[in-house]
Amino acid sequence: MYATYVIWTKHMAKFLRSTEELLGLFLQSVLWVLLFGVGMRGLVGEVAGGDYLSFILPGIVALSSLGGAVGGGIVLLDERLRGILKEYLVAPIPRLSILLGNATSTATKALFQAGLMLVVGVLMGARLSPNPPGWLAALLLLAIFSVGFSGLALAVAAVSRSIAGYHGMIFLFNLPLLFASNALYPLAVLPDWMRVIVLLNPTTYLIDAVRALAFGAAPTLPLTLSLAVIVLFAVLCTWLALSLFRRSIRG
Amino acid sequence: MTDYAIDARGLVKRYGAITAVDGLDLAVPAGTIYALLGPNGAGKTTTINILTTLATPTEGEARVAGHDVRREAARVRTRIGVTFQEMVLDQDLTGREVLDIHGRLYRLGGALRRRRIAELAELVQLGDALDRRVRGYSGGMRRRLELARGLMTDPEVLFLDEPTQGLDPQNRVGIWSYLRALNRERGMTLLLTTHYMDEAEELASQVGIVDRGRLVAEGAPEALVSALGADVIRVRGSGERGHFAACARALPFVTRVDSPADSELVMVYVDSGSRRLAEVVGAASGNGFAVEDVTVARPSLGDVFLHHTGRALRD
Repeated sequence: MYATYVIWTKHMAKFLRSTEELLGLFLQSVLWVLLFGVGMRGLVGEVAGGDYLSFILPGIVALSSLGGAVGGGIVLLDERLRGILKEYLVAPIPRLSILLGNATSTATKALFQAGLMLVVGVLMGARLSPNPPGWLAALLLLAIFSVGFSGLALAVAAVSRSIAGYHGMIFLFNLPLLFASNALYPLAVLPDWMRVIVLLNPTTYLIDAVRALAFGAAPTLPLTLSLAVIVLFAVLCTWLALSLFRRSIRG
Repeated sequence: MTDYAIDARGLVKRYGAITAVDGLDLAVPAGTIYALLGPNGAGKTTTINILTTLATPTEGEARVAGHDVRREAARVRTRIGVTFQEMVLDQDLTGREVLDIHGRLYRLGGALRRRRIAELAELVQLGDALDRRVRGYSGGMRRRLELARGLMTDPEVLFLDEPTQGLDPQNRVGIWSYLRALNRERGMTLLLTTHYMDEAEELASQVGIVDRGRLVAEGAPEALVSALGADVIRVRGSGERGHFAACARALPFVTRVDSPADSELVMVYVDSGSRRLAEVVGAASGNGFAVEDVTVARPSLGDVFLHHTGRALRD
């Protein structure tokens, strides 16, 4: 769909032009790895046979893809609140292409942010496994997961009435997705009730798979299950975004 | 088949319990400038939204450029241009990018886009600013850029929702002259909404007065005005206003009398203001109505609005 491509290029042009957003994303990555990762490494030393930075990097990468998606959602929200969306709506283009334009630009930002974080983490001393196909597979999973987060951010952006309301709602997702997952601690050390919650969190599956594929950790969950959960998450979130977006443009 | 650029019958739009448009009929001949005049909340924007396929009517039907807005929305969209009431521009793009992206959304070729951008920049006098970011544009420049964007696709029908709201007088006059030129030189049909009387009077060959979601009067501005009477004597005062109005109405040379509920004025329309002034004032003083101020004028669209809706239209 050509209109999707046009909207994607427009969003990318705006993104590359907004120095604050780029600098913010970059510093966010560096600070996470530097302050949290390196700091905790001094405290924890090693987890499940690997160093702590390598252990938490997949989680930080996953959560930073949420950060990128949040930035993408802001674009839809901003265009919606300011009425720019109406320019697309009176144009002879399919409604779906508008959402897809937003979704692709949002996912691109999420993936960009995740990739940046990965590079910073590796430069800071996280140890990748010597397995390039595994890296690629991990990146692919991250991409699918980014689509899911993008859907989530766009769904919230489709219904929020203000920028502040949007951030409030996103924050509600952000915290439990990070702490109620295996991002910072291994599954094995958790009490049973918390393990149930953590296993309901799709981020857990992504993190476990990325650890196994790119950092050479032993998977604690079956890889096929992780793949299925991630794909399901992406599909559900995209569907949610689509239905809320449809509702928001109905005149 | 009559050549109507816009032909709407019995349009109704309800939002829950609120009826924004309540049985509106509209017929705009191709090649004319038509102004929907009415106060904020009269249903003008909702009407535009229906005609530009942004909203679907609850009842009724409309054809724009020969196509049904509901069943052939995509065809309608290829033939219209729209500028919205609020400024709808990406701050971080340059004027040229705004126009270019718009052209790409409509799948115009690269050479055609470059040519149109050059032409339109000239028309709306944005030449130098075209490669600067919209963020730094003044209100008037933004409006002109939006107008150029609406014209990128060379539409048959251009919709303009309050095109000069919030602009200074100089920019308003500028926009008016561009709109007149478009209509004259390209035969483009323009439908605009406004709550400025002077705008409707200056631009439109046809004016439709909208109140509470209905079209209450329609016609050429001069015809609407002259139907009221040659002159209007506006009498301000206190006392038995209703009684005075009744007495004035009984005078043989009075064509009509309006006494709006929300003002102290009585409008007496007569065949000749200067000749009848003394008699009208005389009718007041003998009837318990103390006259404070009298003016004689030619009726305006404002008087037309008041006559048809019973309320004054405030800018």
